[in-house]
Amino acid sequence: MRKDKIFIQVLMVVGVIVSIYSCVEPDALNDSDYSEWLSGGSQTVFDNGAGGFSTAFPHLTAAREKVHSIGDGAFGQTFVTAPAPQNPGLGPIFNNVSCTSCHINDGRGKPPLPGEQLSSLLIRISIPGTDAHGGPNPVPGFGGQLQQRGVFGAQPEASVRIDYTEQSYTFADGTPYSLRFPTYTLENPYTTLPAGVMLSPRVAPPVFGLGLLEAVDEADILALADPDDRNDDGISGKPNYAWNVAEGKMTLGKFGWKAANPSLLQQSAGAYNEDMGITNFVFPHESATGQPQYDGRDDEYEVSDSLLYSVAFYIRTLGVPARRAADDAGVLQGKKLFTDGKCSQCHVPRLRTKTDVAFPEISNQVIFPYTDMLVHDMGPNLADNRPDFDASGVEWRTSPLWGIGLTRIVNGHQNFLHDGRARTLLEAIMWHGGEAEASKEFVRTLSQDDRDKLIKFLESL
Amino acid sequence: MKKSYLQYLLAGAALVSLSHCSDNDNASPVNEELNTQVLLDFSANLPQAVYSDLSTKTSTLYDQVVALGTNGATDDELAATRTTWKQARQAWEQSEAFLFGPVSTKDIDPHIDTWPVNFNDLNAQLNSGAEFTADYINNLDDALKGFHPIEYLIFGEDGNKKAADLSERDMEYLTALALNLKTLTADANNSWKPSVSGNYHTIFTTAGTGNATYPTQLAAYQELVNAMAGICDEVANGKLDEPFTAQDPSLEESPFAQNSIIDFTNNIKGVQDVYLGKYSADGKGLEDIVRQYNLQLDSDIKLKIDNAINALGKITDPFGKAITTQAMQIETAMSSINDLKDILETELLPFVQQHTK
Repeated sequence: MRKDKIFIQVLMVVGVIVSIYSCVEPDALNDSDYSEWLSGGSQTVFDNGAGGFSTAFPHLTAAREKVHSIGDGAFGQTFVTAPAPQNPGLGPIFNNVSCTSCHINDGRGKPPLPGEQLSSLLIRISIPGTDAHGGPNPVPGFGGQLQQRGVFGAQPEASVRIDYTEQSYTFADGTPYSLRFPTYTLENPYTTLPAGVMLSPRVAPPVFGLGLLEAVDEADILALADPDDRNDDGISGKPNYAWNVAEGKMTLGKFGWKAANPSLLQQSAGAYNEDMGITNFVFPHESATGQPQYDGRDDEYEVSDSLLYSVAFYIRTLGVPARRAADDAGVLQGKKLFTDGKCSQCHVPRLRTKTDVAFPEISNQVIFPYTDMLVHDMGPNLADNRPDFDASGVEWRTSPLWGIGLTRIVNGHQNFLHDGRARTLLEAIMWHGGEAEASKEFVRTLSQDDRDKLIKFLESL
Repeated sequence: MKKSYLQYLLAGAALVSLSHCSDNDNASPVNEELNTQVLLDFSANLPQAVYSDLSTKTSTLYDQVVALGTNGATDDELAATRTTWKQARQAWEQSEAFLFGPVSTKDIDPHIDTWPVNFNDLNAQLNSGAEFTADYINNLDDALKGFHPIEYLIFGEDGNKKAADLSERDMEYLTALALNLKTLTADANNSWKPSVSGNYHTIFTTAGTGNATYPTQLAAYQELVNAMAGICDEVANGKLDEPFTAQDPSLEESPFAQNSIIDFTNNIKGVQDVYLGKYSADGKGLEDIVRQYNLQLDSDIKLKIDNAINALGKITDPFGKAITTQAMQIETAMSSINDLKDILETELLPFVQQHTK
């Protein structure tokens, strides 16, 4: 039954490709571009609605589909205060109560509106210096992440106030635009915050397509790096190396806003531990250990090994939405502008996953994530001034752009960048600085029509 | 968020339509006027009507809860709040067949319908001196507010709570929760009202007219069908399957009111509503488009909806008990609902890809 289904799917794919070849204007896309429709290679999915980021790989064996489904359930589990028959172990201090409450619809978080509580944005904190592995130096009494909520009776570490100041700019054609500069203030700390605390606000990033990114060969990522800018193009790109807990050594960082996380398992385990206060075999100690909020419940892992693996597997096997209108004339012109403006130097369109015989679903796929997985100097305006392993206070990982056009329908907003300060895609571009200064300036001098085409291209991703 | 397979079957139509073949000789007929009307009727008869109904019922619930507190509650009055709670639940569960737009993106869904309840903190709240202001409740975790904590307070752990068992503190918390539910469902109602700025009615029904969220009508139709299939998946493979496979009644939602099977049935009735374009009023629905081109598909979908609803009706024990006593009925219900999901994904979705643009 299942084999038949796959056979039909293959026939359909062939049919699709034939039909595209037969009806697209011959010079609209060059030969290598056709697969650009399929951003996630053979794990591209075709829901361009609210479920666009929530669709499993189409090519999963039945057994893997079951694991994905179990992980899906776990991703949605709301944790509660222990002891409880179901999902105990929340907190005692935490940022949120389930994976999905930050990664709503497996998508992108945003900063709170005035009067709202912090929900899908959190604050990493550290003091100058490094920890034993060269990572951020935790704040005594607070750790490496601020937990702004607590279960009943546990005092949150602090609350966060966000203020914005608008600053006006103009495009070369005279059209004005405005950027909002955030400032973050920690209020009502439960104990004195030491001087010199560095804050790094981070919104929850989308979680689809990550298994494909994890499967990109390290050598391919390193080949894109040019940390000393030897080709003298003003763009460096450097790998971040971070402490890999499971392997007990430094390995290439791939995930998170500063590429300071080496694997999806560690990313998931860290989120359970820091964001929800859920202990697990990777991070067995409560985030509040040593603090007065600590409830002494280190006796057993609050999420089982199998569920942790299932959740990591779930996000590894969420497919990537197909492009929309990729052959539209305006989109194609926008794409050319994207290349001409050298945006594609860092937002590298095309990568290939390595061969993995144990996981054929993600093996040897041509994918179009629009990232180089490297960190870049993004200039002082975007800087958090908080180093994270090798990524300095001005460096951020190139964010993947695939699926970005669906943010509006999946998450109902257009807030981009690490702390959601940009309110449109265009604002996100205009925040770029540092190595991207020339690209930003290129966009600043575009005509309104060309700016629209560039955005149209991004919306089609 | 549960989704699954067969996407490649859908790939064909999707990509063909995306590639804008202007000279496609095989183009299927598209009745744009009807397609526009179906979107308009959907918005009016489903989200607008259902959220309005939900909002009215939670408003009634709030009034009844307030009266309970001021009159000195009688068992009859408590029974009336339970009935209203179930009526509000009916509207909400039917609305889960179109869980997209602001109710999803603005988190209204988890704010009003999170399971499990955080009993430790709920009891601690009741035993505390906290003043349950609207802001205070609004800032509570989702597991401490919404339908299920209200259910716990008015039904009691065994479903037999008496009015005399309602403490003063119970009443304070219950009143504040009922107000919070009323407020949030009013937000849901406003989010689709054509008269409210930024409403989703306009976003959804102007699909295909330079609309950034729904660039094509096809995108709006895909949203509808995916939402219908999505709730089928959730009911069959989440709500029914998880407690059943684990043989764990604690995984059951709505255990205090013993309302789970009714909830699941209303989920499927929601799918039926969307297909017919009908709730309290009847308008043009997907049914009308399907009937124009494929009567067989129309009768197949209707048969599978009926089968799913009937199969759920065969589970006669409370769900927490039925997971051990009525395994066959539960298995039949899961497979019937999965059959419905399959026809929506493998036949209705390709159909709308053919007959909308």
